[in-house]
Amino acid sequence: MTGVRVGAVVALALAAGLWLRLARLDARPMHHDEANQAVKFGTLLETGEYRYDAHDHHGPTLYYLSLPAAWIRGQRTLASLDESTLRGVTVVFGTLTLLLIPCLTTRIGATAVAASALLMAVSPVMVFYSRMYIQESLFACFTLAFAIAVGCAMRSNGWSACVLAGVAGGLAVATKETSVIMLPSALAAAALAWWSLGSRRWPLSLGGRDSRVAVLAGLAAAVFIAGLFYSSFFTNPSAILEPFRGARTYVDRGIEPVSHGHPWYYYLTLLTYVASGGLRWSEGLVVLLALVGGWMAWLPPDPGDVERTFWGRYLSAYTALAAVAFSLIPYKTPWNILPFYAGAIVVAGIGLSRLIDVRRRALAVVVTAVFLGATVQLAWQARRAAVTYAADPRNPYVYAQTVPDAVRMAARIRELAAIHPDGLRMQVSVVASPYEQWPLPWYLRTMPNVGYWVGTGDPLELRSAVVVSSVDNMPALDAALGERYVTTIFGLRPEVFLTLYVERDLWERFLARTPAAAPGTP
Amino acid sequence: MIKRTLASSLLFVLALAPLAAAQSADPNKEELKLKLPKPMFIGTPTNIKSANLEPITGKPRPPFFVPKGTVLLSLKKAVTASDSAPVIGELDMITDGEKSGGDGYFVEFGPSTQWVQVDLGAPHPLSAILLWHYHSQARVYHDVVVQVSDDAAFKSGVTTVYNNDHDNSSKLGVGKDKEYIEVAEGRLIDPKGAKGRYVRFYSNGNTTNDLNHYVEIEVYGLPK
Repeated sequence: MTGVRVGAVVALALAAGLWLRLARLDARPMHHDEANQAVKFGTLLETGEYRYDAHDHHGPTLYYLSLPAAWIRGQRTLASLDESTLRGVTVVFGTLTLLLIPCLTTRIGATAVAASALLMAVSPVMVFYSRMYIQESLFACFTLAFAIAVGCAMRSNGWSACVLAGVAGGLAVATKETSVIMLPSALAAAALAWWSLGSRRWPLSLGGRDSRVAVLAGLAAAVFIAGLFYSSFFTNPSAILEPFRGARTYVDRGIEPVSHGHPWYYYLTLLTYVASGGLRWSEGLVVLLALVGGWMAWLPPDPGDVERTFWGRYLSAYTALAAVAFSLIPYKTPWNILPFYAGAIVVAGIGLSRLIDVRRRALAVVVTAVFLGATVQLAWQARRAAVTYAADPRNPYVYAQTVPDAVRMAARIRELAAIHPDGLRMQVSVVASPYEQWPLPWYLRTMPNVGYWVGTGDPLELRSAVVVSSVDNMPALDAALGERYVTTIFGLRPEVFLTLYVERDLWERFLARTPAAAPGTP
Repeated sequence: MIKRTLASSLLFVLALAPLAAAQSADPNKEELKLKLPKPMFIGTPTNIKSANLEPITGKPRPPFFVPKGTVLLSLKKAVTASDSAPVIGELDMITDGEKSGGDGYFVEFGPSTQWVQVDLGAPHPLSAILLWHYHSQARVYHDVVVQVSDDAAFKSGVTTVYNNDHDNSSKLGVGKDKEYIEVAEGRLIDPKGAKGRYVRFYSNGNTTNDLNHYVEIEVYGLPK
């Protein structure tokens, strides 16, 4: 495949990837994790303040890298932010991940790059989580960049590759704690792939002065970048040590999870085949091609192509090590797939290129045709996951997702505020556990007088014209509010309900706004 | 606490008993025999109590009495809908007699207010209507409205026999009936003898997603 053709395929992949990632960014209600991140970012946007929380929220890159997006859109407050601004940030990094692949053209081959770019563009899991305002799409981008830079550094011993690896590694560390899995996986895989070449491996001059300087420059870059973000651009230097303090939390959570515990094959199942409620999902094509790519990379090497052998072995080992590590940790969330799956997609591209390289032309044509057809099918799945079933629990990538009913409830509260004398300053009480409060702070962000309580007992919460309650607080609220309030049930997440209490007088005025009864109404 | 629950249950049964006895004592009525599907989930959230939500007792529905001679009118009858091309399933699945809650037995329609309509072939006095939206998960369907008419377009002669759209968000009028959590025994609606050829069912999403679903509809009435 010529350079022009590769460029054309990558451009096509980029267009398809952007189309899928940018389509109706507000189609899915804000997940409570997204809402939490959004409110934290809102504080940074409004006050310029950020403090790393060693127990939650992960690293700071997401918030700082969201600032330019808000500034470009002229948004200066939490209330003015919208889903497009926030999710646009993660879409950018999901797209940058795709654009990293052409950096490998001389290393894994043009066909592999073209195939990988197409798969990265249309992979449902990559598309879905690129549209979610959480750290994962940034993390996948930084870790893949780190892996590519480490591979380049291994081959060239050059300081520029080391510095790039340091920058990418520093960004990864400043994004998520699971960089302790991804970064060592890349280093170990690079060493393993190099060692596996036996007599064909090239000398590593780690003892040389230039190499030592290069490695030290890379380490310095990593420390500088991570320190820059964790210390809030050196305004809070002591925070540089905070990730170490938080390590215990994440280790405990990973090994003995209170929630989100799943079996070792969870990620594999999610990627290969899921059927639920009449819908079927599979990224089996990518998994299969990655297995082919990994297997063929570890066959006896072609003496004339040490470069491709090294990269095939390196990327497959990197993906496998990271995937195994993530699978062995009991704590699992589906978006944790992204960092190692980005590697798997590149290995899948290598797998396809090896199949097409087979001497028999007819077979190559058939394989290419099947691949293109399957890629279109993946794109269809991605669109379905991202838009049509964006919040449907039958979508395997939907996880503890806010349901549209919760958005309707928030819209109802704003409608009620519109007819209340205090307008958006109307007092609203939310009486629910923190897990059942989110993402309401996001959806009620334009209302300054929303109070949050975890339980009943405070007379202040009963003074609101509108009260939102979790199921367990309803008996106490029913007793306290009685017939003075009208109630409506709304869903928050599947099988998690909230009740909206509205003062009867306000409710009557709300109903008076709607048209009279239709024919036949008793 | 247990004693109080038992006492409440006993009072509830005692309160209903005369009503049921009165119905069964009517020589012109008989118990409606229903074939119910297997429950798909256990643990309906019985702790949810709200003025606009049907109380969840966790017990089987009491017998329902209908005029003698009542038959199932809707089986295999033609179904039309606001969306003639459902996202999942075919319209005829709604009256095919299959009420299982599993995959492949429900029809899925898009978001917002949607309706399906059963053509009984001729006007009939109706005795009972049973409705299963989706009973694999505890969820509430919003704005459930059931209307009967001889006009296929539902522009004239419309009788509303059920309406739980209490905020009038579907613009069909404010309803006074209660919302309810979907379970395997379906929703039994008493049409109180309303007569008509067409029965139309509205809904407007649910507490899990924006979509509208139907597993089965059964309309019972007198043959003529």
